[in-house]
Amino acid sequence: MSFFASKNTKFRTKGLKFDSVGLVTGLVLLIMLPALVQSNNYILQVFTHALLLASLALAWNILGVSGSISLGHAAFFGAGAYCSAVLSLEYGLSCWLTIPLAGLLATGLGLIMDLICLRLRGAYFALATLAFVEIPRVITDNWDELTHGSLGLVGVPGLPSLSLGTWSVDFSSSITASYYFVFAYSLVLLGLVRFLFNSNLGLAFQAIREEEIAAEAVGIPANRYRLLALLLSAYFTGVSGACYAHLVRYIEPGLVYGLHFSAIPMIFAICGGRFTILGPAMAALIIYPLDQFVFHPLLPAGHEFLYGVVLIVTVLFLPAGFWGSLRKVS
Amino acid sequence: MTILQLQKVSKTFNGIYALRNINFTMNEGEIVGLVGPNGAGKTTLFNLISGQLKPSSGKILFEDKDITGLKPHTVCKLGISRTFQSSRPFPEMSTLQNVLAGQVFGKGFSLHTRPEDEQAARELLDVVGIAHKGETLAGDLTLSEQRRLDLARALATRPKLLLLDEVAAGFSPVLVKQAIKLINRVRERGVTLLIVDHFLNLSLKVADRLLAIDHGEKIAEGSPNTVMRNRDVLHAYLGLRHQDEKDY
Amino acid sequence: MWTTALVSGISLGSFYILIALGFALIFGVTRNFNLAHGELVVFAGYVSYWLWKVLAWPFVLTFPAAILATLFICLGLQRLFARLYEPQELNSIVLSFGMAILIQNTMLFWFSGDYRLIRIPTLSQGLRVPGFYLSYGQLTLLFLSLTVIAILYILMYRTYLGKALRATIQDKEAAAQAGINVAVMGTLAFCLGAILIGLAGPLYGCTHYLYPSTGHQVTLLAVTITIFAGVGRLGGIILAGWILGLAESFAVILCGASWREMVAAVLLLTLLAFKPRGILGKGEQ
Repeated sequence: MSFFASKNTKFRTKGLKFDSVGLVTGLVLLIMLPALVQSNNYILQVFTHALLLASLALAWNILGVSGSISLGHAAFFGAGAYCSAVLSLEYGLSCWLTIPLAGLLATGLGLIMDLICLRLRGAYFALATLAFVEIPRVITDNWDELTHGSLGLVGVPGLPSLSLGTWSVDFSSSITASYYFVFAYSLVLLGLVRFLFNSNLGLAFQAIREEEIAAEAVGIPANRYRLLALLLSAYFTGVSGACYAHLVRYIEPGLVYGLHFSAIPMIFAICGGRFTILGPAMAALIIYPLDQFVFHPLLPAGHEFLYGVVLIVTVLFLPAGFWGSLRKVS
Repeated sequence: MTILQLQKVSKTFNGIYALRNINFTMNEGEIVGLVGPNGAGKTTLFNLISGQLKPSSGKILFEDKDITGLKPHTVCKLGISRTFQSSRPFPEMSTLQNVLAGQVFGKGFSLHTRPEDEQAARELLDVVGIAHKGETLAGDLTLSEQRRLDLARALATRPKLLLLDEVAAGFSPVLVKQAIKLINRVRERGVTLLIVDHFLNLSLKVADRLLAIDHGEKIAEGSPNTVMRNRDVLHAYLGLRHQDEKDY
Repeated sequence: MWTTALVSGISLGSFYILIALGFALIFGVTRNFNLAHGELVVFAGYVSYWLWKVLAWPFVLTFPAAILATLFICLGLQRLFARLYEPQELNSIVLSFGMAILIQNTMLFWFSGDYRLIRIPTLSQGLRVPGFYLSYGQLTLLFLSLTVIAILYILMYRTYLGKALRATIQDKEAAAQAGINVAVMGTLAFCLGAILIGLAGPLYGCTHYLYPSTGHQVTLLAVTITIFAGVGRLGGIILAGWILGLAESFAVILCGASWREMVAAVLLLTLLAFKPRGILGKGEQ
C-alpha cells in the first residue's frame, strides 16, 4: 500500500459516530484533567506540552494535506518564539499583541520559503525545508544584540492575563492556568482546521495532493493554494512557538530551531493520520505522554528513539496513520 | 462565430518540432475531429490550447482573447476544459467529490459547497451514466467509468470548448455507440468539441469537420469524407510508413 | 591567510567528497535518499572511538571494525527501503528520517551527549610551509580522501562492475533489460556506501567533535553535494565537494566560524531553487 495515498480513507468527517464519541470523550478528559490528577504539576506540565505539540501537529498538517512534507517547520516555530519573546521582553509589549505578531513573522518566513521552493515537489521540497531551517537558526544565533545569540533569552515574560469585567485570570500564575491556556488555543486551532478541511479549501488541497495536473485543469491554481497552505501552517506554527516561549520563559536557538520541534509534530501528523483532522492531535496526546511517563524514566538518555520507531512503523505498515486506519474499519 | 483560432502555432522540444506552423479555426457549436497517426502531435496541440504547455511561437485566440501561454487554471476559468489521454481522477475522493471539484472551482470559488453545486454535480453524473457510483472512490472505478468521470468533471467546469483526448480508446463497438450518444448530449448543452481520436472509430461518426495532422504539420482539413480520401492522410495512416517519433 | 583558507578548503572539501560519495552512490543506484547518512558517519566514528578509548585498539584497526558495523546497519536499511512503494524518493526520506532519530538516540544512550574526540597527537602537529600551515590531520584527510576517490574512480570507470553500476544509475530499467541484476547492484551500492561511511566515520572522529546531534549537519553536506553534482557523476561530486569546502573556509575567514553552518544550507537552497537536477545533471523531461 502506498504511504502517501491511503486507500479507503474518507477525507471528510461526515459525523462518523466513532469520531464524535472519541472527540467528546477526549475533550471531557482534558477539561477535567487538573481535577483528575489533583493538580499534580508534573502531569499537568507533560500534558501542557503534549497539547502544544498537538497544536504544532495540527498546524503542520495544514501543509501536509496539500501534499507537501516539511522537515524544517522548526524554522517557523523558532522565529515565532523569538519574535514574541524579544518583543515582549525588550519592548514590553503585551503578549496578546506579540503572539499574533510572531505568527505574522513566521508567515513572512513562509513567504520567503515559497519563493525559493515554488517549483519543488515531493522529495526535493522536503530536502529544501531541511536546509531552510538553518537560515533563521544561524541568523538568530549570531544576532547577539537582539537575541543574545547562543546564550538564549532568559526571563521571557509569562503567559498573559485576561480580564473580562470583574473576572480576571493570569495564565502565568500557575501550571493549571497555563494548561488551560494551551488547551484553549489547541481547541480553537482544532476547530479552525476542521472548518478549513471541510470547506472547499480542503477539497482543493486534496485535489492538489492527489493529481496536481488534473486539479489545474479544473481551475484550481495549484501554486496559489499550496502557498496558502504553507502560510496558514507557518502562521500557527509561529503562534505555537510564541506560546512556548511564554510558557517555559527561556529559549535558545538550538532548542527552538531544533530537530525536536521539526520532527516530532511531523511524526504526530503522519502517524496520527496525515489526511485526517483529529489524527495529529490524537497522536500527540497519546504518544508524548507515553514517551514522558514510560520511556523517559526508563531511558533518561535516548528515550526519543520512540519517535523514530513510531515513524518507521507507520511508513512501513500503517500508511494511513493510526487514526486513518481505525476509520477504515468503521 | 469563431470560438478558437490557432495562428502559426509551433512547439519545439530541444530543437525538434512537435508542431509546426498550425493554422486553424473553430466555430461555435461544431464538433471537430483531430486525427493523425501515433506521434503526430495531437496531444501536444491539446496541451498548448489548455495551457499545460506554452507554444514556442504563434498565437492562440479563444473568443478573440489571446490565451497564448496562460496557465491551465486560467484557461479553464475562461471556458476551455479537457479530458486526459489516461484518465486522471482524484483517486481518494468519491466520484461525486471529483465532479464537485470541477463544479466549485471551474468558474470561480466558493468556500462552501452549495446545494445547487451538489445538484449540478449529481446531474452530470447522471448524464454520463455513473450516477449509481456517486459514493464510490474514484480509484475503484473501472476504466470506462473513470473515462466518463473525467468527462463529467470537465463538464462541471461549464466549458464553452471541450477538448476530449482519446475518449474512446480501447472501446468496443458497444461502448463507442454509448460514447457517441454521450457526445451528442454534450453538444446539446451548447459545448463546442474538439476530439482527438487515434483510431478514427469515433470522430468519423460524430465530427462535422476533421483536421488531420502528421509529423506536427497540418495535412488536411474539411468534411470527414474529403479528409479521409486525401492522399496525404491515407499515406500517413496506411501507406509510406515513417519511423514513429516519440510522443512528447 | 588566504592560502591557508585555500588549503584547508581543499582538504576539508576532499573529506566532504568522501562523506558524500556513499550517499550519492546509494541514491544514484536505488533512488533512495538516506537521511540517516550523517548519523551513520557519526555512529561509525563512535564505534571507532569506543574501540580506541575503551578497548585500547590501535586507531588504524578501528577502521575495519567501523566498516563492519556500518555494513551491518546498511544492509538492514536496504531491507527496509526495499519495502517502500511509490513515491520512492519521498518515502525513503521519511523512513530514513525516522532511522536517523533512532540512531541518534541510540548513540545518545550509549555515549551520552558529551563531546568526544579521538585524540591522535600527531595529527594536530603540522607542516609550516612558507605561506600557510597544514596540520597532519588535514594532510591525512586530504591524502586518504583522494586515495579512496581514486580507488572508487577506478572501480566505477575501469571495471565491468563499475560499468554495470553506472548503467543502473543512468537508467534502471534499461540496465535491467541489458541483463544487469539491479537488485544486486542495489546491494552493492549499499555495501560500497557502508564502506565509505565506515572510512569517513573514524576520520570524522579524529578531526571533529563527536556528539549525537551532529549527524544532521553531515547529512546536509552529503545532500548538498549530491544535488549539486546531479545523479551519477563522480566528477560533479568532486567539484561540488571542493566548492563546498572552499566556500565554508572562506565564509569562516570572512564572517566568522559561527556562520559556517549556513553555507551548505544556502548552497543547497540556491541549487534547488534554480537547478534541482544538479549543475551538471541533465534535466529530466
